[in-house]
Amino acid sequence: MTVDKTGLLIPRRKALLGTVGLAVAPLAVPHVARAAEPVKVGLLLAKTGQIAGQTEYLANGSFLALEQRNKMIMGQPAELVWLDEPSPQAATQNMQKLVQEDKVCAVLGGSLSSNALAEEAKAAELKIPFVCDNAAATDITGKNCNRYTFRLNTPVAVQSRMLAPYALSYGKKWYHITASYAFGQDILKTSRELLKAAGGTEVGVDEVPLNTADFSSFILKIRQAKPDVVVGGLSAGDLTTFLKQWNELGMKGKIPFVEIAIGDTDIWGVGPEAANGTFTKLWDAFNAKNTPEEKAFTEAYLKKYGKPPADKAWMGWITARSLFEAIDAAKSTDANKIIEALEAWKMPAGDVSYHYRKFDHQMLVRNLAVSVKDKITDKYNYFDVKATLPQNPADLEKIFGSSEEIGCKMT
Amino acid sequence: MLDILLSQTVSGLVLGGLYVLIAIGLSIIFGLLGIVNFAHGAFFTLGAYLALTLVGHFGWPAVVLAPVIVGGMGMVAERLLIRRLYDKEPLISLIVTFALALLIEASVRLIYGGIGQPFSPPPFLSGFQVWGPILITNYRVAVLAATAAVLVLLWLFLEKTRFGRILRAGSRDPEMVGLLGINLPQVLTWVFGLGCAISGLAGLLAAPLWTVTPAMATNAIMPAFVVVAIGGLGSFAGAVIAGLLVGVVVALTIQFWPEASGGVMYLFMALMLLLRPRGLLGERWERFE
Repeated sequence: MTVDKTGLLIPRRKALLGTVGLAVAPLAVPHVARAAEPVKVGLLLAKTGQIAGQTEYLANGSFLALEQRNKMIMGQPAELVWLDEPSPQAATQNMQKLVQEDKVCAVLGGSLSSNALAEEAKAAELKIPFVCDNAAATDITGKNCNRYTFRLNTPVAVQSRMLAPYALSYGKKWYHITASYAFGQDILKTSRELLKAAGGTEVGVDEVPLNTADFSSFILKIRQAKPDVVVGGLSAGDLTTFLKQWNELGMKGKIPFVEIAIGDTDIWGVGPEAANGTFTKLWDAFNAKNTPEEKAFTEAYLKKYGKPPADKAWMGWITARSLFEAIDAAKSTDANKIIEALEAWKMPAGDVSYHYRKFDHQMLVRNLAVSVKDKITDKYNYFDVKATLPQNPADLEKIFGSSEEIGCKMT
Repeated sequence: MLDILLSQTVSGLVLGGLYVLIAIGLSIIFGLLGIVNFAHGAFFTLGAYLALTLVGHFGWPAVVLAPVIVGGMGMVAERLLIRRLYDKEPLISLIVTFALALLIEASVRLIYGGIGQPFSPPPFLSGFQVWGPILITNYRVAVLAATAAVLVLLWLFLEKTRFGRILRAGSRDPEMVGLLGINLPQVLTWVFGLGCAISGLAGLLAAPLWTVTPAMATNAIMPAFVVVAIGGLGSFAGAVIAGLLVGVVVALTIQFWPEASGGVMYLFMALMLLLRPRGLLGERWERFE
């Protein structure tokens, strides 16, 4: 090596050129740099509180959906970033953190209706696709809808219409016991309208605070009112506590109990001796009509977690799958392209296909009407599937309501 | 109407009995140690989960071990953590015990999972009694009886035994008790263990009624603080009266204004603190003035 007269080992001009070359190198090969960065998707689900039993399964389903793709989206490594949603306000703050700090390209979540309503407004503000995997409040894809929000769970109003014939089969004197937040208030409003239309009478109503530990005083009121049927609107842990105490106070089998949108985890906590009632739900691991892909999901879940998937695990799985496949189809993490791909996404499901409607972004899924078995021998298999609703697949679009009926105006 | 009031009052007394048990341990720990124990609800949860495990493995008679084990865990927590807080400002103990509560809840979630665990009353206490308008289950009668028995035994222990006298003296003037040659730190360990054991017992009794989840402490800790505040910090009799009162007020509110049943105890507490800031039977304690 020659040393020039300045004493430098490398001539100044060459050193300058080398430095500039190093600085612009990433610009010359952008695809290489991008390939190293994982595709990030946010997961916004409660980690504590009365809904945490359900969210554990929602999260399990979503993580399994990613593992089944070898943790790859668009041929790049992908990851789920899970933040808590302890309250509507904290949930929106965490959504902002996911988008601005973690740089996620879309968010899955919304375990409670009160959270999801706040989150969907935030998603519109941040212009980020948000796929709501659990909340059922009608307004999410109704009057509060926006083009960034997609939702799996069948709206309260639709599920209530599906359940009403079962409640009416017991009689027209109804007692409502509902949670005093968005989900319960929605059920109460819809159920009252259905009862009125059927010419029935409401013999009592209780709006119950969240996290009620003792329902005995409510149950005494129901006993005094002597209804034909109790229509519930309690969520998660509160429903579990109610059904336990309903049995303890000798009411099981005396007055029928019905409710929409039960989760398997709610009934598992009740126990075989106390469980009873008729419910709607989206999916059941033991349903013989599950598609081959759903059966494969059940097997994979059983292998990974050592127990069958709850309906919530399927809900986490199907929403995550729809989003991952949409990002793949979009070939981009651009929000508008993901939205277009989600609107076009389809997955065959027997006579119908799972898909989001373009005008309200509501997934069309047939529901199951289920009743607790007379004798429970498997601690994870509590239900007999009574019917798939609507029974005629051609009625699916109609039962979810038209654009005018649901009041969604995309913004 | 009288029928309804009577029926709801009995229901409220059972709920109040549970509140008393949860609150009494909290009250003892505060009264004798001066620690506001935010982890109290977590020991309640531990009582419920240990009962679940013991019944599953050894049958119902083994549940008597649940509060004993919880008490033991409380003693370990006192030796490792709580005793470092006695001479610190109250805010430190609030933060540390809150962190302990989160740690215990997370551990329970890790071991048992987040979903509710099925747990029913024992078969020999199934069924219910109907006395006129009053409907009460055999298990709830047993809960009331167990609560009454524990309270009587606890009162006898604190008032009539030498150990009880040391506890009461130590809570008022720890320095003087130390000068008399009594190993006060060891006594305080036992007190913390006792408070936790009572909380564990409340968890054991509540488990067949409530949903057994890692978050079940939420339903226990807030009523416990309300009861202690209404009854008077550190007052045994105050906690008993306040617990039963809160239970009955909640039950009657459910009858006439169900939407307010979740908030009525807080309104009751606010009124009490406005009218009598030291609570029903709260005393003036030199140590905390």
